Amino acid sequence: MRLKRYLHLYKKFASQHLKSLMQSKVDFFLGLIGFFLMQAGGVAFLYLVFQQIPDLNGWTFNELLFIYGFAQLPRGLDHLIADMIWRVANPMIVNGDFDRYLVRPINPLFQVIATRFQVDAFGELIVGLGLVIMALFRMEVRLTLMYFILFPLLVVSGTVIYTSIKLFCASLAFWMKNSFPILHLVYSLSDYAKYPLGIYINPIRLILSFIIPFAFAAFIPASYLIGKESLLIGVGGTVVFAALSFSIAYRVWSKGISIYESAGS
Amino acid sequence: MITVENVLKEFQITKKESGLKGTIKSLFKKEITIKKAVNDISFQIEEGEIVGYIGANGAGKSTTIKMMTGILVPTSGKITVNGLVPYENRQKNAQQIGVVFGQRTQLWWNLPLSETYQLLKEIYNVSDEDYNRRMEFFNQILELEGFMNNTVRTLSLGQRMRADLAASLLHNPKILFLDEPTIGLDIVVKEKVLKAIKEINEEFQTTVILTTHDMSDIEELCDRMIIIDEGKKVYDGSIEKIKGRYGYMRRVEIDVKNSEGLNSINIEENFNLKEEDLISWIEENRLHVKFNRKKINISEIVAYVMSKLEVIDITIKETNIEEIIKRIYNKEEV
Ligand SMILES: Nc1ncnc2c1ncn2[C@@H]1O[C@H](COP(=O)(O)OP(=O)(O)OP(=O)(O)O)[C@@H](O)[C@H]1O
Ligand SMILES: [Mg+2]
Repeated sequence: MRLKRYLHLYKKFASQHLKSLMQSKVDFFLGLIGFFLMQAGGVAFLYLVFQQIPDLNGWTFNELLFIYGFAQLPRGLDHLIADMIWRVANPMIVNGDFDRYLVRPINPLFQVIATRFQVDAFGELIVGLGLVIMALFRMEVRLTLMYFILFPLLVVSGTVIYTSIKLFCASLAFWMKNSFPILHLVYSLSDYAKYPLGIYINPIRLILSFIIPFAFAAFIPASYLIGKESLLIGVGGTVVFAALSFSIAYRVWSKGISIYESAGS
Repeated sequence: MITVENVLKEFQITKKESGLKGTIKSLFKKEITIKKAVNDISFQIEEGEIVGYIGANGAGKSTTIKMMTGILVPTSGKITVNGLVPYENRQKNAQQIGVVFGQRTQLWWNLPLSETYQLLKEIYNVSDEDYNRRMEFFNQILELEGFMNNTVRTLSLGQRMRADLAASLLHNPKILFLDEPTIGLDIVVKEKVLKAIKEINEEFQTTVILTTHDMSDIEELCDRMIIIDEGKKVYDGSIEKIKGRYGYMRRVEIDVKNSEGLNSINIEENFNLKEEDLISWIEENRLHVKFNRKKINISEIVAYVMSKLEVIDITIKETNIEEIIKRIYNKEEV
């Protein structure tokens, strides 16, 4: 009942947002093109590395392509849906614009997220999906029904991890006023999770797995999907970390709202 | 309808010295001062009242409103709004209140106004029938038609304020909080806004709390006002009462036929009172006299002037509420 109402509201918000986006079509397409170019650069980089070191830590090029492609999906979905969280980090809290979300009868986080979706993200999603399909095809992986259930589950869990990490960092703005630098720093760590963890030194591996668990939003579930990780860690770990991240982040967010100071004007 | 009990709101202010040196210093030793924006305020507001909440800049008006609407949590004390604690039960409370912050729009900046209302209709779950009826009503009293299809960003201040007011009323809230709803409005728009507030209050028994720096708003709308100063309540009662309590200063304007004759009389000398109890000045053929009615009777003044000059008109001015407020703000002994 409640969920239905929120879905309905999301549709309304989204269609309004799309209308206002369409008023500036140029921005829309430039954003898309920009992202395609960036993604193409990433793949080219991977290819070049492989030309030099054909056997990277025991991973084949196709496997790396799959991991890289998979990693774009949770990242892209989070980017598509929850981009407004960046604004929470700065300037929404410091300038008091957050007030409005507290005087309306729907969940403030939902309102923040529903305010807009970032169409630039289609660049990541399309490239990611393309790479994943290509890699699967080249590796001749047998696609079972289970695969079609677990794949989306892992993508969604990964998205939740991305969004939670962003939410956690952005919520620090309730204490610090501007948490953009921290959010930016932490978010940039996600770039490391689209390559095999084995290539990094231990501390980085530990951080990416257990403290800022981007590995569970990219490398780990992706390795499971190409048979290089156990079900327990690949699926179990990912789902548990998604649930854990979100519950921690949401708690910090709620605590933050209770100490929100608005702005003096 | 609303109870506010011993509410205190403190803000921590970290002092930072300017420059690089100051920044480095603040890393090690933070100087924190505590600002009591609202300091032990209590009051109660009944259903259907229109209450003016006034005070000088920085007195704590907006802070109080923000606590009553659930945006801020009080440091201590308790607030209930129609049985709900706003900052503990935000979403439920939001459904029963309407909020306008004159300084900042609640509307979506990039949407046409009509689309904004469509979204609010969904958010507040307003039925089509109610929606159409209310929009028609708002159109009548606030005249929104002319800019209904404009993007919110492009609205003028007066248009935006009317739009915001309509938006806050779309779900027919039981309580309406208005923080400076008339700021920057021209006289015509202001009249519209005030009239709308009055009509809503009469029609739906909506409880209204408004802050303003314009005393004529208060005189036009409110039976009761609460005055705060530096976070403390200094007055709570009717406008009549405050006039009775503080308003012993009166003004009378006497027009005479021959303006030269005015220079020949000297009221101050004649009655021999202190300057704060009696003062007069001349403006063309008009004599202004401000006097303390506890010290001197108006008939004495008028009789004196009439005995000396040919008077053509006499106007007695009510005490200006603004003057009373100014005295309170300045902490004058009243
Ligand atoms: N978020 C905040 N952080 C720190 N101090 C604040 C904050 N909000 C308000 N204050 C301080 O609290 C005091 C009361 O502010 P408030 O905005 O409630 O005043 P006001 O009565 O609404 O004034 P005005 O008429 O200028 O709008 C001021 O001294 C202000 O500097
Ligand atoms: Mg204010």
